Amino acid sequence: MIELELRRLRHDRTELYFRAVQPILWIVIFGPVMGTIKAIPTGNIPYTDFITPGVLIQSTTFLCIFYGLTIVWERDSGILKKLLVTPASRYATVIGRSMASGIRAIFQGLIVIPVALIMGVKFIPNPAYFIFAFVIIFLASGGFAAISILAASFMKTRERFMGLGQAIIMPLFFASNALYPVQIMPQILKDFSAFNPLSYVVDAVRGLLITGDLTNLPIDLAAIAIFDVILFILASVSFRRIIE
Amino acid sequence: MEIAVDVKNLVKIYKPKTRALDGIDLSVESGIAFALLGPNGAGKTTLMRILTTQLRPTTGDAYVFGLNVNREGGKVRRLISYVPQEMSVWTDISGYENLLIYGKIFGIPSHERKQIIDDALANMGLSQVANSLVKTYSGGMVRRLEIACAILIKPKIMFLDEPTIGLDPSAKKIVWETLTSFKKEYGVTVFFNTHYMDEADLYSDRIAIIDRGKIVKLGSADELKRSLGGETISFSLAGNNINETTLRKIRTLTSVRDVIVSNTELNILSENAETTLLEAMEILRIEKIPLEKISIMKSTLDDVFLKYAGSRLETTGRMSEVTHTRDMIRRG
Repeated sequence: MIELELRRLRHDRTELYFRAVQPILWIVIFGPVMGTIKAIPTGNIPYTDFITPGVLIQSTTFLCIFYGLTIVWERDSGILKKLLVTPASRYATVIGRSMASGIRAIFQGLIVIPVALIMGVKFIPNPAYFIFAFVIIFLASGGFAAISILAASFMKTRERFMGLGQAIIMPLFFASNALYPVQIMPQILKDFSAFNPLSYVVDAVRGLLITGDLTNLPIDLAAIAIFDVILFILASVSFRRIIE
Repeated sequence: MEIAVDVKNLVKIYKPKTRALDGIDLSVESGIAFALLGPNGAGKTTLMRILTTQLRPTTGDAYVFGLNVNREGGKVRRLISYVPQEMSVWTDISGYENLLIYGKIFGIPSHERKQIIDDALANMGLSQVANSLVKTYSGGMVRRLEIACAILIKPKIMFLDEPTIGLDPSAKKIVWETLTSFKKEYGVTVFFNTHYMDEADLYSDRIAIIDRGKIVKLGSADELKRSLGGETISFSLAGNNINETTLRKIRTLTSVRDVIVSNTELNILSENAETTLLEAMEILRIEKIPLEKISIMKSTLDDVFLKYAGSRLETTGRMSEVTHTRDMIRRG
C-alpha cells in the first residue's frame, strides 16, 4: 500500500505542491505579522519558529484527513470491493492505507521545511532529531488517516465527506497548541486540548525541531501510540461497512 | 464432478424491505463457464457479492468449493478472484504497477512475481502498454487489465460481474477468447453475470436466468432454446399444389413435431431444423413440388429470456446500462 502511494507520487505530485501553499502562507505571512505584535507569549523563541511545527503538522493532518476522499473514490469505483475480496486482512488493508497517507505527509513536510529555513526559522541542527520528528509525523498521520477512513465508512459521498472533513480538522487545529501555547487558553479548551492528539504531535515535533525540550516526549509518544491503535481498530471494524 | 458453487435457499433483504434475493437454489459444477443472466435489478450482483464474501445473506447458505462464504470467508477469498462491474484499477499508475501491487496484496512470492505479471500482461495483450498510465487506456484495455489482475493468482473460480459492459464487439471478443483459453488451460470455473444474451449464448456452458431474486430457468443455451418448442422451417411454395400424401410423409420424419400449411406457406416445426430440412427437401423433390424460398427460424436466447423473465430487460436494462456506461466514461 505504501508502495502504491510512492508510485502515485512519482507520477503526479501536483497535489502536494498545492497543499503546501497554505502552510507556507502561515509561515511567510501569519507568523511574521503576529510575531511583530508579540501578543502571544512563546517564551524566548520567535513566533514564526513557534508556529512552524504547528502549521507543518496542520498541513500533514489536513492531507491525511482528506485521504478518506481517495477511499470514497475507490468505493465509487470497484477498487475497494476488489481489495476486500483479496486474502489480505481488513486490519492490514486499513493500516496499510493509513500508513500510505503518512508517506504523503512526509513528502509534504519536506516541501514546507525549506521554506521555513528561508524565513529564518532556527531548527535544532541535529539530523537524528529531524528523522525522529518525521517518524512521529509519519506515525501520527497514520492515525489521522484512520480517522478519515472511519469517516469515509459513514459518509459515503464526496460532498458529505468534504463537509465532515472540515468539521474535524478546524477544531483539532484551533484547540491545539499549534498556534499558541495551551496555557493561555480558557480552561474548557485546555481540557479539550488534553484529548487532542494534534497537541501531542505538535509538542513532540516542536521539542525535536525547535526548542530541544524533550521532557514531554515519552508522554507524547504514548499518546500518539494509543491514538493510533484505537483508530486503527475502529477504522478496521467499520471498514466493511463502506461497501455495503 | 466437483461442485464449485452451491447455494441453498438464499435470501437477501436490503433495508427497509427490498427483497433482492428471494430464495435462490443453485449448484454449479467446477470447470465450466456459468452465466447468470437477468435484467438489471434481478439480483445478479447481490448474489455475486454474497458469493465473494462481501455481503452477508439474510438467511440461507452459500458454499464455494465446500466452504461456507459466511463462516469461512478468509479461506474462500484465497480461492477466488473477482472483477467488479465498476472500474477497479488505479488510473494514476501504470498497468504493470497495478498488477505489481495486487501481486503483493495476494502474497505472490517476489521471485515469481515478475514472471507471473509478464505472463498475465502477455495473455491479455497488454505487454505493449504495460508502462503507460492506466488513464490513457481504452475501456477494453482497462477491462483486460482487470482480468489480468484476476488471473494473477490462478484462482479456482473467477467471479466476473458484467465483464464486457460498455465494450465494443471486438474488445468483447478478445476478452472472451482469453477467458475461454484460460478456463481450458487451468480448469478455472468462470462464474459471470450478464444481461447480454449473445454473451451467455456463445461463451457459457450453463445458464441460469434470474428475475426478481429468483432463478426462473436453468440449463445449457441449447436446452433453454429447445424448451421453447423447437425450430421452424418455412417453405414458400411456387403453387398451391401440396397433397395429403406429402404432408403425411413429412409428419413421419423423426424430429418433426407439427406441419402447418396455409396457402402457399408450408411450416414445419422441428426439434432439429438442419436434419429435417434435408429430409423434407428430398420428399418435396420426389413429389415434384416446386419451391420459391426456404427459411429457418431458430429460437434465440432472447425468446427464452422473454418467456421466462418477461420484457423487463428492454425497459429497465437499457437505461441503467446507459447511465453505467456513462459513469465509466466519465471516470476515464
